[in-house]
Amino acid sequence: MNVKIKAENLCAFSTIRYTNFTIPAEKIVFLNGPSGCGKSTLLKIINGRLIPSAGQVLLDNQDIVTLNPITLRRRVVLAEQSVYLFRGTISGNFRRFRQYRETTAVSQEQCQVLMDICSIPFTQEESCDAMSGGERQRIFLAIALSMAPEVLLLDEPTSAMDSALAHTVMGNLIQYCRSHHITMVIISHDLELSNTYADEIIRLEGKV
Amino acid sequence: MSGVADITIANFMLIYLLLLIVLGVMKVCNISQTNLLFMASLRMTIQLIIAGFVLMFIFKNPNPIFTMAYIIAMIAFATHRVISKNKWLNKSFRWAIFGTMSLSGLSVLAFFLLTIVHQNVFNPQYAIPLSGMIFGNAMTGLNLGLKTFHENMGSERLQIETLLNFGAEPKQILLPFVNRALETALLPTLNSMVGMGIVALPGMMTGQILSGTLPTTAILYQIAMMIVICTVLCLSVFGSLYLGYKTLYNDRAQIMF
Repeated sequence: MNVKIKAENLCAFSTIRYTNFTIPAEKIVFLNGPSGCGKSTLLKIINGRLIPSAGQVLLDNQDIVTLNPITLRRRVVLAEQSVYLFRGTISGNFRRFRQYRETTAVSQEQCQVLMDICSIPFTQEESCDAMSGGERQRIFLAIALSMAPEVLLLDEPTSAMDSALAHTVMGNLIQYCRSHHITMVIISHDLELSNTYADEIIRLEGKV
Repeated sequence: MSGVADITIANFMLIYLLLLIVLGVMKVCNISQTNLLFMASLRMTIQLIIAGFVLMFIFKNPNPIFTMAYIIAMIAFATHRVISKNKWLNKSFRWAIFGTMSLSGLSVLAFFLLTIVHQNVFNPQYAIPLSGMIFGNAMTGLNLGLKTFHENMGSERLQIETLLNFGAEPKQILLPFVNRALETALLPTLNSMVGMGIVALPGMMTGQILSGTLPTTAILYQIAMMIVICTVLCLSVFGSLYLGYKTLYNDRAQIMF
């Protein structure tokens, strides 16, 4: 079993200490633990947005601080709980996010595939501006998926969806990631989701 | 045309009576800034009296050192005002502001004096009042541009963080904020150019006409100065923001808000 991510003696803000853990390649790993134990902070550390106060994170056996931070974030994409979309249409959002990454736009067909995975029942030319929180969350997830990362970090990806929709979207996402060899690390408060879909569950205690 | 009429001190003092009207309106409207009115009037009076005597001295004893010292004091004061109104600026950003404002202001001033009015760049009669206009406007533009830049970054924090999470370069993320701030800083000057001569006769032109300059000459100075101000403002704001935004992220591509 290949190890994709390994964390050793990791601390954040000198107040959160993480237990050592490994995340196997191409697996679906759920993180859980009490509020304030540093789950979201951990995802930011793995994505290179935050620098740990101690310890290290290895990605494919390489310390992430030795990697170019932009390359790291393109390999390890983080979709946080707060959704950001540009004003305008769904296709416009796909285009703009990819422009910022200086990559070519996804084709209409690919865009539609990703929208179907995330159960988005709109045309690509529909405006996102007046959509509900759950609809915007699904578009955001589809855009994150379009970045084609090696590792996808999701922080409460279904928090604005009802239970049935959350299961559908999560099931589709996981199926897509498995078929595209993407490792997933997911924070979810929904124990049923983690029990249903996790290959592995890491419990964080957030010792001080 | 005759020169400007002399004002006696006794007559001059009457102008302060107008402030009583302002004070009255403020009282009626319960505006609690009457202290500021006194402070502002007093500071203006003292500062201008000092400036008048200093300028009299410099004009009587023209010396490049005095002219440069006066201009450097203006730049230092303008930079200080910008920095004190934008406490979020880091040290490198502050130097960028000082550098670009000085460089753009002085070089455009030199261009104006040497090629348009054919005067020595150290001639205090030209260099000092024109510098005042240039750096005063640059200061206002910088304040507006920096405020807009910082406020937009704050209100679009989620956008910035999301784009970072997705692997966008900080440069790609922040450049649109630079462009928007520059546009905001330039708009008041461009709008005043649109209304100039119709809505109002600008201060410099009014001063020249009062002192006996032909209006046809005064407008040439005014037009030239407006273009000078617009150019310096554009270069100062663009230069400061363009050099400054690069100081807002580190080599780990983390943006400091």
